[in-house]
Amino acid sequence: MTNIVLVTNNSVVQEKFGEKLDVNHLPQATYLETLEVVRDKIHAGHKLLTHPLSGSVKPNDTPYKTIVISKAKGTLDYDGLGIIEESMASAQKFIAGRKTPQWTDKVKADFRLIDFTIISTAINSMDGKFIG
Amino acid sequence: MSKLRVVHYINNFFAGVGGEEKADIPPQARDGVVGPGLALSKALGEEAEIVGTIICGDSYFGENTKSAKEEMLKLIEMYNPDIFVAGPAFNAGRYGFACGEMATFIEEELQIPVVSAMYKENPGVDMFKRDMHIIETEISAADMRNAVPKMAKLVLKLAKGEEVGSPAEEGYHERGIRVNYFHEKRGSERGVGLLVKKMNGEECVTEYPMPVFDRVDPLPAVADITKVKVAIVTSGGIVPQGNPDRIESSSATKYGIYDISGMNDLSADDFMTVHGGYDRAFVTENPNLVVPLDVMREMEQEGVIGELANYFVTTTGTGTSVGNAKGFGEHFARKLVEDGVGAVILTST
Amino acid sequence: MRLELGKIKITDVQPGEVTKVENGTLFVNKQELIDLAMKDDRIKGVKVEFARPGESVRIAPVKDVIEPRVKVSGTGAMFPGMINKVKTVGSGRTHALVGANVITCGKIVGFQEGIIDMSGPTAKYTPFSETFNVCIVIEPVDNLETHDYEQAARLAGLKIGALVGEAGRNVEPDEVVVYETKPIAEQTAQYPNLPKVGYIHMLQSQGLLHDTFYYGVDAKQMVPTFMYPTEIMDGAITSGNCVAPCDKVTTFHHLNNPVIEDLYKRHGKDLNFIGVILTNENVFLADKERSSDMVGKFVEFLGLDGVIITEEGYGNPDTDLMMNCKKSTEAGAKVVLITDEFPGRDGKSQSLADAVPEADTLVSCGNGNVIVEFPPMDKVIGTLDYVETMIGGYEGSLRKDGSIEAEIQIIIASTIANGYNTLSAKMY
Repeated sequence: MTNIVLVTNNSVVQEKFGEKLDVNHLPQATYLETLEVVRDKIHAGHKLLTHPLSGSVKPNDTPYKTIVISKAKGTLDYDGLGIIEESMASAQKFIAGRKTPQWTDKVKADFRLIDFTIISTAINSMDGKFIG
Repeated sequence: MSKLRVVHYINNFFAGVGGEEKADIPPQARDGVVGPGLALSKALGEEAEIVGTIICGDSYFGENTKSAKEEMLKLIEMYNPDIFVAGPAFNAGRYGFACGEMATFIEEELQIPVVSAMYKENPGVDMFKRDMHIIETEISAADMRNAVPKMAKLVLKLAKGEEVGSPAEEGYHERGIRVNYFHEKRGSERGVGLLVKKMNGEECVTEYPMPVFDRVDPLPAVADITKVKVAIVTSGGIVPQGNPDRIESSSATKYGIYDISGMNDLSADDFMTVHGGYDRAFVTENPNLVVPLDVMREMEQEGVIGELANYFVTTTGTGTSVGNAKGFGEHFARKLVEDGVGAVILTST
Repeated sequence: MRLELGKIKITDVQPGEVTKVENGTLFVNKQELIDLAMKDDRIKGVKVEFARPGESVRIAPVKDVIEPRVKVSGTGAMFPGMINKVKTVGSGRTHALVGANVITCGKIVGFQEGIIDMSGPTAKYTPFSETFNVCIVIEPVDNLETHDYEQAARLAGLKIGALVGEAGRNVEPDEVVVYETKPIAEQTAQYPNLPKVGYIHMLQSQGLLHDTFYYGVDAKQMVPTFMYPTEIMDGAITSGNCVAPCDKVTTFHHLNNPVIEDLYKRHGKDLNFIGVILTNENVFLADKERSSDMVGKFVEFLGLDGVIITEEGYGNPDTDLMMNCKKSTEAGAKVVLITDEFPGRDGKSQSLADAVPEADTLVSCGNGNVIVEFPPMDKVIGTLDYVETMIGGYEGSLRKDGSIEAEIQIIIASTIANGYNTLSAKMY
């Protein structure tokens, strides 16, 4: 799938997909910073392909987020822009109420796994399909 | 039991000091009751008394907000209050802003209950309703006899730690806070009920109102701007020196149209800014920073635009109610169209 | 399809030699349940414990809740495609042990989820404080992969639910309710003057711990389809969703879907309940476009005058909710949405992650961010070790004395977005 880019702060995603797919790994980025990078890419003309608030784990619980965007740039993806902006506002609202806790390694590993499996199924869903 | 000590904040108008010409008076304190404080005092009854009244001019507050707040805090502290009441401000935008700013500031600094009262279109409502209780009033001071008792009742409840009821019960503007409660019926039953009503065209009230979608659909892009007459419209508060039409520095109630024929730029001798919402130093030196006449004139001369209109339209954006802004736009848009203007550059700050 | 649902009222649960129901008491042979669960070699150990309403008992972490039911007659068996053959269900006669539940508990991931207090101030937030619960605490073999553990726990719950349900097969129900939906032409003709209503049921479908199954098919891989409402009563839909306890739709809630029940209550009176449109909540945005377009197509094709839409989850599904709302409105139906809210702890922020102007009629299932106090309980079924890593819990929320301060997000089904509870939120 050469027409997508994964923007992520999840090292498991880099590890498992790094060879086969284009992964933009931001190891130091926070959840919110990862969303900001995606927003900037949408501004630059990339298309948003997955929903930024995937998973029911709230933005102030999980530290990890992977989002898929198109590799190619085109005219501004208005719908995608609306979605990423709303998602950022939503994330900020949760984080303002209570910061992401300092989780143990085991818990962090579980959050990475959930983020990874959710994005894997999304990627499998895209395979061979038109992504615009 | 000693009475609760109340400090009341009013503006130049309500203090009987004077109207617009006295809107620039600095903060001052008077012991006891002044003006509408009398009605407030009666409404408070035996449980509380107004020990001091703070007066401040609306323009002074708008143009010196930071220092005015500190000055007023010092005056208020002198009275050692248990309660702070600001207003009622009705539809006065600058006063509403000042009431909201002071009340939320005092609540934080002195940790005492506060209340104000405003008409729904007062910009102070949207700005401050989340952070404090604002009683809903009619548009003018004629509503004093309704507003004041509600203010008194609510702030006494707050002072005594009693539970505050819903906006409908207590008379305050909806604050936009979601509060849980257990309904008699379960959600699905309520949902089916709402659906049947909706299908029958009956009134049904949503349990969660969506944010307001007040969007204006843009017109298609101008095909060839080299052939179009363009006008400059600004909410940056640029006016001729002396502000002859007395456009307010915030919560504007009017707009102005000023001639620029023959000018290649706005001279600092002829024009000034009255906008209270930004640091004016740069613009005072060079008004073209907000109304870019210099650049537009060049473009006109080079043929980049067809023609520049020989006037610009101006008002102050900060604190101006949505209702007023809409009204201004609808009004001067007609003149622009009559004068053959095909496109507008809007500068805001 | 016509289903007779026989409701057997359970008023106590006790251990017994034989798993059976007698005079309203459910007797459970614990060993029988343990043996059944242990047949799956992914499971190392199983404990069975009871929790009754009013007891000073806390159950944590909860995975799924299953109401014991059995198909007495009609094609198929409970939970088709999951623990029984794939065969269309929803007709004939089914018995339900109402007031009893099988609850699976186990620490699948480090961030656990789901508390049920059987008494005290937070009991009112979950329906399961009022049922007689058979709790199955599942321990996996060492180093079991997470996917496998989730599946093992899920299937164990369904199997045990079906096993216990068997006890109701030959018992005379206290109440029999008949539900019937005819094929579209007949159904329309039956009440020609009543508005036609459909229920758009959105299924959680994002991935591990976020899955739902229709006849065993992962909802992620479905395109929207039509379901007779009674199919759900026989377990055609099962839950693999273990995240965000407050709005997790348990298998119990699928079996007892309140929108379906309440639509049937008025069916033939002031509405004509046509049926259910199932759809999903995929992460891939193009899937959302596809699914919502197809939902709109169904609304138009079935000629629906009105629809109710429910969702499961927060954030990502809010976008599906709004797309379904918009397209159903465009297809000519009046729309009512049911959802829960997350306006932040102070209640001042936006409650939903998305919004469209067409969403003008919405039922609220409450604010999940509100913080509540859980007093200590005498007994904990499961473990409290992980409360702080439960969604809704946070550092410092579990205290030494066993009391907890946490958001109501942590309580199973407290703000479930299908309208099952009476919890709501209003504007102050």
